[in-house]
Amino acid sequence: MTKETEYAIEVDKLTKRYGNLLAVNDISFTVSKGEVFSLLGPNGAGKTTTVEIIDTIRTPTSGKVSLLGMDVTKKKHDIVPRIGVLPQGFSSFDRITVRETIQYYSRLFCCRNTDIDGLIELVNLKDKTKEQYKKLSGGLKQRLGIAIALVNDPEVVFLDEPTTGLDPRARHEVWEVLLGLKKKGKTVFLTTHYMEEAELLADTVAIISKGKIIAMGSPGELVESNANYLVLRLQSVDEKVFEIARKMGFAPVLDNHKNIAVRLEHTDDVQKILNAIKDAGALYLGLDVRKLNLEEVFLKLTGEALREDPPQMEEQ
Amino acid sequence: MNPRIISANLVVKLLSFYREKSAILFTIAFPIILILVFGTIFLSQDNVGYHLCLQDLDQTNSSAQAVKTLELNGKFKITRVDPAVNAKQYVMDNKVNLVLVIPKGYERSLMQRMMLNDFNASVTITYIYDPSSSSVTTKMEILNSVLAGINQGMSGKPPFLRSVERSILTKKYRFIEFFVPGIIAMAVMTLSLFGTVNSDTELRQKGVIRKLSTTPITRTDWILSNILYQFILAIISTIAMLLVSYAVFNVSLHINAWLLAFILLDVFAFVGIGMILTRFVKEAQSAAAAANAISFPMMFLSGSFFPIELMPGFLQTFAKTLPLYYVNEGLRASMIFEDHMAALRYSAIIGVFAAVVFILGIIATKWEEGH
Repeated sequence: MTKETEYAIEVDKLTKRYGNLLAVNDISFTVSKGEVFSLLGPNGAGKTTTVEIIDTIRTPTSGKVSLLGMDVTKKKHDIVPRIGVLPQGFSSFDRITVRETIQYYSRLFCCRNTDIDGLIELVNLKDKTKEQYKKLSGGLKQRLGIAIALVNDPEVVFLDEPTTGLDPRARHEVWEVLLGLKKKGKTVFLTTHYMEEAELLADTVAIISKGKIIAMGSPGELVESNANYLVLRLQSVDEKVFEIARKMGFAPVLDNHKNIAVRLEHTDDVQKILNAIKDAGALYLGLDVRKLNLEEVFLKLTGEALREDPPQMEEQ
Repeated sequence: MNPRIISANLVVKLLSFYREKSAILFTIAFPIILILVFGTIFLSQDNVGYHLCLQDLDQTNSSAQAVKTLELNGKFKITRVDPAVNAKQYVMDNKVNLVLVIPKGYERSLMQRMMLNDFNASVTITYIYDPSSSSVTTKMEILNSVLAGINQGMSGKPPFLRSVERSILTKKYRFIEFFVPGIIAMAVMTLSLFGTVNSDTELRQKGVIRKLSTTPITRTDWILSNILYQFILAIISTIAMLLVSYAVFNVSLHINAWLLAFILLDVFAFVGIGMILTRFVKEAQSAAAAANAISFPMMFLSGSFFPIELMPGFLQTFAKTLPLYYVNEGLRASMIFEDHMAALRYSAIIGVFAAVVFILGIIATKWEEGH
């Protein structure tokens, strides 16, 4: 029996173990219909295990997961025709063309009315319909993967790290497609370790670390609730600036490039520090005042970098 | 089971095969090359002609007549060796394996025996030979039988013990006719085993199977489409092998329903083994090595290339434990001898084996990522 619910996905106390490894540790959350939900975390945080349990690829150790009102462990055959999945590291048959691949998956879903041309247009692969899969670039392959995930006009779309390994241009091309899905009102479950991806696309972001969800909310809410202060950064300062800020009662941080970052609770503090520097005759080359971004919130919450190449402090 | 899904999968597999030129080459060309090479090597096996070097030290009309008798026997193509040379040195210098030496005094001894009825008069024919040659023993045995025939003829009395050959077959078959069914069995085994192992491990490693597990295709649909695909390839490959065999070697083989039955059983048995292997071997490279470890002993020990009767007793016993042996024997029973009872017996054995490994293969095939 399918239970009518306002939620597309309901996860309750989900746990997954691989032997002694606790990959997902007692997590609970819900995803509303029409919502773009992003699970954000570094490699090995438990994102893929979580999404693969929800989209029926894996089975949970304990806990309950409902998808469209159905238990994923018991109703796989009823669920599968109603969802679309782009698994992590998506791949397809090397020698089959773009159009043939979409047709193949459409036939697997026994869809007689799939708008193949519409899908090709949606993912912007019109010029590549006769190209074999193995000859496509990484970005084109991912776009084809998204088209395949949509052949059955699914109610919920799962995209597991859809832009990992792509160059910035290809990533933006995929984002364009995902924004199109958002406009169409699809429920999208997105896992990523790209902060800008989550900020751009997601209505709700859940930060997962070591198998636990440690924060959840809209990108704005997460920043607001976890970073209600400003950061003043001064580029290439002389040593006096550091001392001035310290004597004013702030806790400045000096990096390897002689940049100073100062945490400020109030907007007025910016002017106070700049005036003190000016009065002392000290010098700086540039300045930047801003709130923490989601990535820095993540760092603050988990103490881990999202990627292996965490962004450095920007040069002014 | 969904026929629409099975046909979709089959189309994708056939298209992939058609577009992979190297796969076509190995599937169709390799067994044909084997048939052409082995068929040519053994083309004249039924009319074996040995090269025989002969040194006539007597140089008389009688010794020349003896040489002619050997030539007329048809088994030997004779090269005459100069009586002045050392026969032993000749063997070593010319890399021949045997020189037959007719001694001086041959005609004199013959006259003594024939004209004077001196039964003590005899001639010793010497074989100067290289024992390291593998075929020299056979050559000497044939020479001995020819000499025995000459001796018997000279006695002027009909032989007491005679022999007559009566084959159990309606006709004598040639080596190529023995060889072709073996190559068909081997080619179908290789196709099915490597096709399953390579394709499944590659698709699993690349994540295609994981993607497919999120679609309505079931494990049964996947396996059935794979069986159909391998069966179609096996039929294409068999037709190509038979066409070449008929065109080049004019083979006389019976094409009947047994051929289809044995190909199908061969496919089921080795797709089943392939599925079991895929369960335990994760990487494509190790999978190919594991498939080789199974197929090589099968190829050489199950009688695909030569009769197992040529092997030592313990290997013959081992050969009879190999499934390919029963496909070989079954195909030969039906294609060469038209022995339907034997074909039925062999098909029953390979049928039971195929059913068991195929069921185990289905159980072993991991479709979902599971627990």
